[in-house]
Amino acid sequence: MQTQTVHDAVVRLRSVLSEVAFPLDLPAAPEATAMKLELEGQIEDYLLPRLLQIDAPLLAVVGGSTGAGKSTLVNSLVGRTVSASGVLRPTTTTPVLVAHPEDMRWFEGDRILPGLARATGAPPKGSTSLHLIADADIPRGIALLDAPDVDSVVQANRRLATQLLAAGDLWLFVTTAARYADAVPWEFLRRARARSTALALVLNRVPPEALDEVPQHLGEMLNREGLEGTRVLTVAEVVLTDGRIPGSVLVDVRRWLDALAADAGARAEVVASTLEGAIASIAPRIDALVSHLEAQISAGGSLAAQARDAYAAALEEVTAGVSGGALLRSEVLARWHEFLGTGDLMRSLQLGIGRFRDRLNQLITGQPPVENEVRTEVERGIETIGLAACDKAVERTQAAWRSSQPGRSLIEDAGAPRSSSARLPAAIESEVRAWQGYVLDLVRAQGAGKRAAGRAVSFGVNAVGAALMIAVFAQTGGLTGGEVAIAGGTAALSQRLLEALFGDEAVRNLTNDARTDLLTRLSHLLESEAARFEDLASRATPDRARIAELRSAVTAVEAAR
Amino acid sequence: MKNLLSRSRGPGLDERLDALRIAVEIGRDRLQPEAIEPVSAVLDRASERMGLGAELTVVALAGATGSGKSSLFNALTGSDLSPVGVRRPTTGVAHAAAWGETTSEALLDWLNVPRRHGASDPDLDGLVLLDLPDHDSTESGHRLEVDRLAQLVDVFVWVLDPQKYADAALHEGYLRPLASHAAVTTVVLNQTDRLTESERRRCIADVARLVEADGLRGVKVLSTSARTGEGVGELRTLIAARVREERAATERLSADLDAVSAALARYCNGAPGDISKTERDLLVEALANAAGVQVVSTAVAKAHRRDAALATGWPLTRWLRRLRPDPLARLHLRRDSGGGRTSLPAATPLQRAQVETATRRVGLQAAGRLPQPWPEVLRRRASGASEPLLDDLDRAVGQTDLGEERRPAWWSLVGALQGILLTAAAVGFLWLTVLFALEWFQIPRPPTPQIEGIPWPSFLLLGGLLAGFLLAALSGLLARAGAAARMRRAEKRLKGAVEEVADELVISPLDQELRAYATFCDAVRRMSRR
Repeated sequence: MQTQTVHDAVVRLRSVLSEVAFPLDLPAAPEATAMKLELEGQIEDYLLPRLLQIDAPLLAVVGGSTGAGKSTLVNSLVGRTVSASGVLRPTTTTPVLVAHPEDMRWFEGDRILPGLARATGAPPKGSTSLHLIADADIPRGIALLDAPDVDSVVQANRRLATQLLAAGDLWLFVTTAARYADAVPWEFLRRARARSTALALVLNRVPPEALDEVPQHLGEMLNREGLEGTRVLTVAEVVLTDGRIPGSVLVDVRRWLDALAADAGARAEVVASTLEGAIASIAPRIDALVSHLEAQISAGGSLAAQARDAYAAALEEVTAGVSGGALLRSEVLARWHEFLGTGDLMRSLQLGIGRFRDRLNQLITGQPPVENEVRTEVERGIETIGLAACDKAVERTQAAWRSSQPGRSLIEDAGAPRSSSARLPAAIESEVRAWQGYVLDLVRAQGAGKRAAGRAVSFGVNAVGAALMIAVFAQTGGLTGGEVAIAGGTAALSQRLLEALFGDEAVRNLTNDARTDLLTRLSHLLESEAARFEDLASRATPDRARIAELRSAVTAVEAAR
Repeated sequence: MKNLLSRSRGPGLDERLDALRIAVEIGRDRLQPEAIEPVSAVLDRASERMGLGAELTVVALAGATGSGKSSLFNALTGSDLSPVGVRRPTTGVAHAAAWGETTSEALLDWLNVPRRHGASDPDLDGLVLLDLPDHDSTESGHRLEVDRLAQLVDVFVWVLDPQKYADAALHEGYLRPLASHAAVTTVVLNQTDRLTESERRRCIADVARLVEADGLRGVKVLSTSARTGEGVGELRTLIAARVREERAATERLSADLDAVSAALARYCNGAPGDISKTERDLLVEALANAAGVQVVSTAVAKAHRRDAALATGWPLTRWLRRLRPDPLARLHLRRDSGGGRTSLPAATPLQRAQVETATRRVGLQAAGRLPQPWPEVLRRRASGASEPLLDDLDRAVGQTDLGEERRPAWWSLVGALQGILLTAAAVGFLWLTVLFALEWFQIPRPPTPQIEGIPWPSFLLLGGLLAGFLLAALSGLLARAGAAARMRRAEKRLKGAVEEVADELVISPLDQELRAYATFCDAVRRMSRR
């Protein structure tokens, strides 16, 4: 193994990993985040330091349940009280590292556990800095780290213990006759197995009557969990002298430790096997992270799709709304009908007095010219339909998002829109205006080609434009009852007028163009409304690029080992 | 049971259970299933438990593996019913010991405890003591059994030991979630024979501190040693007192109700909105628009003018009017056209959009600042109304009396006058014809009477025609005014009908929902002891 190459690959992996997040509130997200943090922690606290200095002393982390006697064990091994022990749980909140004075230099710097402050002297209560205690009773080449418990009510302890265990070359996992079947420690043991971390179990506080049965049962459980061959060091329950276990009871543990200290080859083997195990565990863990990422991406994608679907339905509603021919109030249609039916339009077109007539009409009746009224009416109608469709789409998206946890969190925490955007009415209005301008341009352009039509159009572009708009809205039928009489008739009249001016073919093209233009404009508006939801979902969705980066970083690590 | 309950402060358990029932009924269709299901489970459990003897007391010994539950169980029952061992976990299934004749088999069946033992002791008559499996071993099935029974028992005796008393599995998994059940919880620190006296005292204090921190106020912490028998008598006395009180079952339920009330309180921390006059008017306006009130009332005016013209118009041209269609008949709104349905144009997408927007606004308004799910419920109620609304509006318009049948008295008067005038003109015309014929046949004419220098026949003919025409014009003006008045009246009536529909289909369902909210929250408050 080229430690330098591996080191570089792991550094790259770490930088890729720091970009990975699981922002969507899926049930597995906390687990995934914890997994990622743990891996990052292990890289930071263990892999990189170990890869840089393969010769550093072996770090044995004493971990286990609260009340299992970790501190008592460390104190007993050292022969003096270096870590607080007692009957109140949890006892140890401060991690204590004991090493031979000459090995101490390895631990004073930021080589390992760079995130933890160092302290010396008697550990004050509640401090979470790493306390360094030099003791010549500890054989050279081994350091003991007394970690807090993995399972007490103090959450900080559990987190710190997990971090410290991840940093160890060897776990000296302490359990007791009362505890050896607890669920929480077994989760840690499984983790050690998954990473092939070197592991030795201390079965502490075994009452005399259980000395046969319990170690045997523990052995069976270890076999069942695939941890066969794990060294189990049994410590009988005795009355403590001076808060320490008498050396005679601890003889197994002591002998094991001394043997390890004496044999540099064995130590190096432990270090190497844990290191290799840790590196080998990276790929499956990254795989798991990738599958969490994929779950996030697919959940985020489906949230975005829900928004898209809701607005696609809105577009259909809008399309149906502007095609029904009933966009105009019947009064206005009736006026338009009269205007066309009496031949006013044709006459005013032909005589060129359209504008004059309009003025006169306006003066007498106080009503705006009918074609202007048609345009206002069109504006108002499209706005009403568009707003209602958008509001409904907001509701639909909200309802769809609310049906899943990540969606609910987006609504409640990320502030997903609860209504259409405030500028929507104005936006629809200006789009419709622009469309009307486009329709008039169409009419003018069409008129410019034909002499007769051109003359007609130059007199009443507005009126012809209004006729074209009505023809657009009446394009698909679907009318029932009395409306047919009005709208259908009006549309037919408008159609006939246009055909008289421009010819069938041109009219068909004109209406198609006008209609397509309107729907394009509206669909852009709806898209920008949908984007408010889609952006939110996509911001909360991990980037797919992360997966490729992770995969390539992992491949590099795998290749280097 | 009644007088026992009345001893406790606040509303009685029956009333609180009623409140729970109401809350469950209202919440069932409105809250998320995961929010309402535990609540409705409490309700079911309460009625089941009450039916199985509220005076009986079910006490559970619960705790971690190796804490000595079974040893305590055996010490309390004075037997070795529950196996004790060094292998962990020891107890895989719950054991039950039942004291006295009164303990019903039915209760044990309900608890579904497979291992049962009879015991007798007058002090403990009416006690069912359970030895639960552990909650923290690698056997996850044990945990499930503990979780199941934890829902059913009346009194919890948590058995802790010096090694494990601070485990997260106990405090985070059980004591904190059961914080509202302090009244039916006792904590026992077992295996105190492993500690010196001063250690024991410090340990007990630490346990008490942790339990307090879990939110369990005023819980008694005992110390026992199943091995030496120390403290077991005290625990027994405590249990005996519980059994004698015969109140544990109701206290457990009471604690459940407190917990449920606290959990549901988050659906009640907001202020409902108020449907203002403006919002209501906007809604009515939009509905009126969708119902075609404008179209109909205009038709009413036109019909009135048509009818007036038919009745009072110039007889010579009156018939022309008949050729034009009756605007009301075209909408099938004439009384005699029968049927309530109109053939008003079906609601257009535009009208539909207007109705939807208006109902949505009212729904939002009503929701005010209520917590979810209420805004969602109100929104659904409001928008659910859109579809039937359009139908009902149509019907309402069809059934509104538009007043088109009433014919003003002056119509017949003018009609008669028109007849007289026409007759006069006809008489004048005949007279002139006769005069003309006489002239033509050179027969001498009798002198024609004159009025102000105009001969009578000419006066009759011209005056009759002119007066008829003028009368028709005058009537037309009058009819126009009448039509305007009638239009206003019809419009008012139609708006009234629309308003009724709006009230019935939009406003009152929303009001009903707001009342449901108020009832729910009132029930949630009443459910709690405090």
